[in-house]
Amino acid sequence: MILSAAQTVAVTLIGGVVALDGTSVGQFMVSRPFVAAALGGLAVGRPAEGIAAGVVLEALHLAVLPVGAARYPEGGPPAVAAGAVYAANVPPVAQAATLLLAVLVALALEVAGGRSVALLRQWNVRFAGAPEGGISPGRLAGRQLAPVAADFARGALLTLAGVLALGWLLRAIDVSGFPELAVGTILRVSMVAGLASALRLFGRAHYRLFLAGAAAGVVVAWLR
Amino acid sequence: MAEVKPFGARVRARMLLRSFAVQGSWNYQTLIGTGLAFVLAPALREVYKGDDEALRRALGRHTELFNSHPYLAAVAAGAVARLEADGAPPEMVARFKAAVRGSLGTLGDRLVWLMWRPMSVLLGVSLVLAGAAWWVGALAFLVVFNALHLWMRAWGLGIGLRDGLRIGATLKEVPFARIGDRAAQAGALLAGFAAALAAVRPGTRPWEWGVALAAAALGIGLGPRVRVAAAVAMGLALVAGLVLANT
Repeated sequence: MILSAAQTVAVTLIGGVVALDGTSVGQFMVSRPFVAAALGGLAVGRPAEGIAAGVVLEALHLAVLPVGAARYPEGGPPAVAAGAVYAANVPPVAQAATLLLAVLVALALEVAGGRSVALLRQWNVRFAGAPEGGISPGRLAGRQLAPVAADFARGALLTLAGVLALGWLLRAIDVSGFPELAVGTILRVSMVAGLASALRLFGRAHYRLFLAGAAAGVVVAWLR
Repeated sequence: MAEVKPFGARVRARMLLRSFAVQGSWNYQTLIGTGLAFVLAPALREVYKGDDEALRRALGRHTELFNSHPYLAAVAAGAVARLEADGAPPEMVARFKAAVRGSLGTLGDRLVWLMWRPMSVLLGVSLVLAGAAWWVGALAFLVVFNALHLWMRAWGLGIGLRDGLRIGATLKEVPFARIGDRAAQAGALLAGFAAALAAVRPGTRPWEWGVALAAAALGIGLGPRVRVAAAVAMGLALVAGLVLANT
């Protein structure tokens, strides 16, 4: 097992909390992939490695908008799982290939997470509305908080599934023979494309600012 | 002007605290209707003090269909609590809720989800890519994002309770559009900055510059569809890697 039992429990609980933050409670945005992956990494003592996975996932999650009743991929719990397992398993070689696997599993889990959110919202219909004669404050609180508990459990299970699936894949697939330069380039290219796609959110009319930012980025990268 | 019946600090604090869970029971039938009633409960307990039957009926009424951006739901909750305190008829309160739910949703979605959050995220990601410690990037994002978030909830509840029916006029006075435009400008700048930092590293080869430029152009062209394209590219890389590793 890539994570210890205690680490698995901690990561699973963090996944539950992060799932709540996504919609049900708080929305402080600790559920954003790059924060969630750092928290996953933190649970295994390597937050910097966790956030490395999170930044790739974040770039690909930037344009996801949780508007109205739209169904969208869920970024938080998969990022916790990917961040934790990647951080716990960063090898001296084939880092890019390990990251590629973590990101791919997280992307698949994001879709599964989005579907599970939709199922939860259908299930929550049983708590909608009130009886003919009204509802007491206590019963109302129960109707509000039962779905919160269910959402926590859903997020925790999704995270656990991610930890187990990714852990199994990393044991089953020998990534040491993967071409590191090519895989690393594909990851970076995906990240660049994802980050650049944010310009669509802000409006393509701002392309001059985008170019100015890119020029500044090149200078900073060159000086680094 | 209607007589002001402000709720005490304890009731306001409880409403504010509960507003953080307004989406807890999100469902496809009444959306956040139950959540709105949950936020209103402390105020309604005070309005209908000593009349449990009326309290139950009022809470039941407010579990009906409602939707809003979660941060601006506090505006609606405050205004509805004020209307209830002023003794407004239930039909008027229902019409008010129906009238504001669309605009509170659109306003918040555009400002927060479309502009402020991506801009804040890009700030945090840029810092990490520029070499800052992981916690610096994460903390910068959380502080900048939540500065607006927390202000919207607290301010929203306050103006709702103060202005009741007149919140529309108050909301028009706030330069949400200008805040959104500024965030969009900063976001575009940061998107370019972060994309360049992700693309360039020490020893970047000329062909990698070309690939990065093409990727940026593709990302801008694809917009949200970039996820699928990236997933396909990474999936193919995995398959190719497996084949190469076994030959």
